[in-house]
Amino acid sequence: MKRILALCIISAFLIISAVSIGSVSVPLIKVLQSIIYGIKMNLGFGAKSPGTGDTYFTIIWDIRFPRVLLAYLVGFSLASAGTASQALFKNPLADPYILGISGGASVGAALAAIYFPKYMGMFALIFALASVYVVYTISKVDGHIPVDTLLLAGIAFGFFSSAITSYLVYVGREKIHNAIFWLMGTFNGALWTDVKLVFLSSFTGFLFLILRWKELNLLLFGEESIALGLDVSFYRKAIIFVISLLTAFAVSTSGIIGFVGLISPHAMRIIFGPNHKRLLPASALFGGSLMVMADLFARILIKPQEIPVGIVTAVFGAPFFIYLLTKRKRGEIYA
Amino acid sequence: MRELSVMVSFSYGEKKVLENVSFSAKKGELLSIIGPNGAGKSTLLKCMVGILKPKGRIEFDSINLMDLKPKDRAKFITYVPQSSVSEFAFTIQEFVEMGAYTTRGDVERALRKVNLWNRRRELVTNLSGGEYQLALIARALAQGSEIILLDEPTSNLDINHSLKIMEILSELKGEKLIIAVMHDLNLALRYSDRLILLSKGRIEWEGSSNELKPEILEKVYHVKAKIVEIEGNSLVLADI
Repeated sequence: MKRILALCIISAFLIISAVSIGSVSVPLIKVLQSIIYGIKMNLGFGAKSPGTGDTYFTIIWDIRFPRVLLAYLVGFSLASAGTASQALFKNPLADPYILGISGGASVGAALAAIYFPKYMGMFALIFALASVYVVYTISKVDGHIPVDTLLLAGIAFGFFSSAITSYLVYVGREKIHNAIFWLMGTFNGALWTDVKLVFLSSFTGFLFLILRWKELNLLLFGEESIALGLDVSFYRKAIIFVISLLTAFAVSTSGIIGFVGLISPHAMRIIFGPNHKRLLPASALFGGSLMVMADLFARILIKPQEIPVGIVTAVFGAPFFIYLLTKRKRGEIYA
Repeated sequence: MRELSVMVSFSYGEKKVLENVSFSAKKGELLSIIGPNGAGKSTLLKCMVGILKPKGRIEFDSINLMDLKPKDRAKFITYVPQSSVSEFAFTIQEFVEMGAYTTRGDVERALRKVNLWNRRRELVTNLSGGEYQLALIARALAQGSEIILLDEPTSNLDINHSLKIMEILSELKGEKLIIAVMHDLNLALRYSDRLILLSKGRIEWEGSSNELKPEILEKVYHVKAKIVEIEGNSLVLADI
């Protein structure tokens, strides 16, 4: 419990720090004043001046704070979904995109970039959910979902949608530039509406998962856990639904950001063990913090330009993952 | 006395794996299911616990277990799978706590029974095959189900662990019905109240240890066998 609390404090500290860092550096105290004023204003009792100067307030409340919050919530969602995916697939190397969500979202975004550029997020969301439905339907055998089939169907669908996306990128040429940047993941231009949307999906998804931590533990043992009273078939379906919800909303607001959903649960399992009562909150808080840091690097590494955050997570994530794998191979860590 | 009555058939597509397998067993018994590889023994257990959906009925005191939801069925019947070492580093205590109806008190009682209570904070990933099997048995026991099914509880274990597990099962049968799939015929003969010999998805023979005849074993296993009696225990010897 203490360690979870420490992760909460680290999260809050990282959020505030990330808001203060940028092309214009804002002192921490002014960040706090602006955030408090913004919250009061939105709750309807804040007519007084923020006391930080209007420029600071605009930078913080309208630009950086929603961006950092969105990054945190997306990281939180992907890490929660990653944890659930690893329980569902009984495999610590599974990630939330395995159900075909990223493939579908890419096709949706690329199509939207060519024909309806304003609706890229919405298209990504619809295509992501539709893809899960297709993968799910392909995998269903007599009303049951064998996870091996689900995994293979997800991988096959991933290749298929990647081919369609490549084709759209090829024929779309200039029009598709935005989509390419989006496909690599970005929090640039984050809006409060995005934050609210992802807050809702991450809150409901996480709440379901944490209330079902015992069932997530049991899913690790597959079909056999029916002997311990688990309705395996029902929970597999429910968890697929929740993973889709968490991932699709995250992807639709900020593109496809890899590794956070894979690494967060994996890293936290080393510290907290496989019990989802602790693993899930730890992984979600870690995922949020990791994403805020990655976005900070994306913003400041080659100022004034930005790197897509998906590139940052992959550059740091891949070596870290290989490090974990070698440790695992040597038997120094367990799942 | 509460009685389990089973009558099931099961196929994988066109392939019949169990054909009208019908038997009954009472609480207080240790029943062994024996038979060659591929006879359908594990499939029968999986059908009984609800992992597979057979045709027929599985009744316990006239409640059809097949109609119950997994959580309700777990009150009556549970299952110890074939042991393999766990990949997930739960502590022994966390591992045993997983059953639907398990309380802290149940966990302590079950772990004391298998002599793992003092090691409850150790990780299951660090247990040997035999110790992991004991942890699996404790997990099933802690749930309090009246029937415990075990799939080859002594496979890959040394003689010490095998005997320990069979002794524990013998003690448990007073309050439960224990049904175990066994490959080791001698352990099965020594500890079981009754045996069912399964071959090609059918029951070939059913009876107590001293009723088993070498001809039946020869017919099913295609090996010449002798059954000798030493100090009141039947012993199967392959006649090579």
